[in-house]
Amino acid sequence: MKIIETLTNIDRRIIYLILLIVVLLPLLFPSVEKVRVMAPVEKLYYAIDTIPSEKAVIVDFDYEPQTAPELDPMGFAILRHVFERRIKLLVLSLYVQPLGLAQNALTQVTEEFNSVAKTNADSIIYGRDYVFLGWVPPPIIPILGMAESITSVYTVDYYGNQTDTLPLMQEVTNYNDVGLLVSLSGSDIPKWWVAYAQSRFGLPVGAGITAVSASEFYPYLQTGQFSGLLVGMKGGAEYEEMVERTLKIKVRRKASEALLSLTYAHLVMILFIVIGNIGYFAKRRKK
Amino acid sequence: MKRTFPLILVFVFGILGIIPFFVPHPVVQNADGFLRNEFLRILVAFALVLGLGSLLKVHIDKIKRRRENWQYSWILIISFLISAIIGLFGGVRGTGILPTSIGSFQFDIWTIYWNVVMPLGSTMFALLAFFMASAAYRAFRARSTEATLLLAAAFVVMLGVLPLGDRISPHLPSFAQWIMDVPNVAGQRGILFGVALGALATALKIILGIERSWLGGGRE
Repeated sequence: MKIIETLTNIDRRIIYLILLIVVLLPLLFPSVEKVRVMAPVEKLYYAIDTIPSEKAVIVDFDYEPQTAPELDPMGFAILRHVFERRIKLLVLSLYVQPLGLAQNALTQVTEEFNSVAKTNADSIIYGRDYVFLGWVPPPIIPILGMAESITSVYTVDYYGNQTDTLPLMQEVTNYNDVGLLVSLSGSDIPKWWVAYAQSRFGLPVGAGITAVSASEFYPYLQTGQFSGLLVGMKGGAEYEEMVERTLKIKVRRKASEALLSLTYAHLVMILFIVIGNIGYFAKRRKK
Repeated sequence: MKRTFPLILVFVFGILGIIPFFVPHPVVQNADGFLRNEFLRILVAFALVLGLGSLLKVHIDKIKRRRENWQYSWILIISFLISAIIGLFGGVRGTGILPTSIGSFQFDIWTIYWNVVMPLGSTMFALLAFFMASAAYRAFRARSTEATLLLAAAFVVMLGVLPLGDRISPHLPSFAQWIMDVPNVAGQRGILFGVALGALATALKIILGIERSWLGGGRE
């Protein structure tokens, strides 16, 4: 009887403590977990990889600090992929909060490339290879407005430069010059791109989302409205795997390192659910 | 007039918002572009001022009337004022109208973002894992056939999305993916249709003036 009581009434502080330990330890002693790349991630990777050279990719950084651990690795891996393939890149955010994270990702990845570049052509240069458009409120204005003219929506970029003076913006005028838009978000934003930019202007859209919101995005993947989908930490780790395997870019893989934490956390949750159910059935039988 | 004018405005702009999706004529598209790029931006700027004013008014009122948890309103007002002052004078990255740095420490939005917004936001979200683990242990019971199915699906998906799942069986990740792709999509699609039809009906009712609760409870 006492055992049953104990099984059904474990103090929540014990659960918290065990979870804390299993999450923290693998982060303190990181090791890379190998992952099998699933079809939705592969689709997005090749959607970016096969963008024609005259077209650009837009990466919409629309996640906030809360979801950055899950979505940051996706953003970093996509930027590495785009820069390595020398695809023209535009970066934007529909909200003001993600701007800092977008800038951080751009700064870090461009530094990675430029630190090993030997010539000007090898370097990633602002205005020539990429432009950080920044933020224009409300979201509906850039989503619809960029179909006509990107520079008239974003007259100045994040750094205050006139966008029509930047060399890259001479080549990318509107959605006709964009091969894919990837929306990284912890909310519904990827669906807005589908609803407004894709349905009306035919813009191909890919998405990177948090695991907790994943289920509501799968219908869009099945219909082909999403060119690919990255889900949570695992999606980020799979994209990192693709970037390392196909482009031979060896850098720290944050999502792959965090997978061990995630594994242990999931196992602990499963274990507690099982314990709770054993206690529940034992109690029911007793009655 | 107090109620009629907003109703006319909603009807006119509601219809103007729909037409460009169906009429590709340049006149319609240009008018739509003008409305969005010029008109809407000005409107949003006013809405922002109105929103901030309203937020302050609500919280000042709460403090005055000593409503439940009124103390927290002080935190909001103080944080609001500090952010506004730092934003106005320090700018985004020390580009404001006054030099606001002490040594290497800069009082600007960037500093607030990395030192306040980032850790607070991350902390709030990180707490979720602990609550979820505790709640799952207490509430996730195989009480019925449906609950047992849900539990089994949850275990498969939880294990399938991990590298461990692949080691247990190479079919497990594929099975987890199938659960997300087929039963999940079927359910989600049903919800989507329902939500879309509901939103459409509500939007039409608002545009046509049938639904008027958004006008508030004022007199004619």
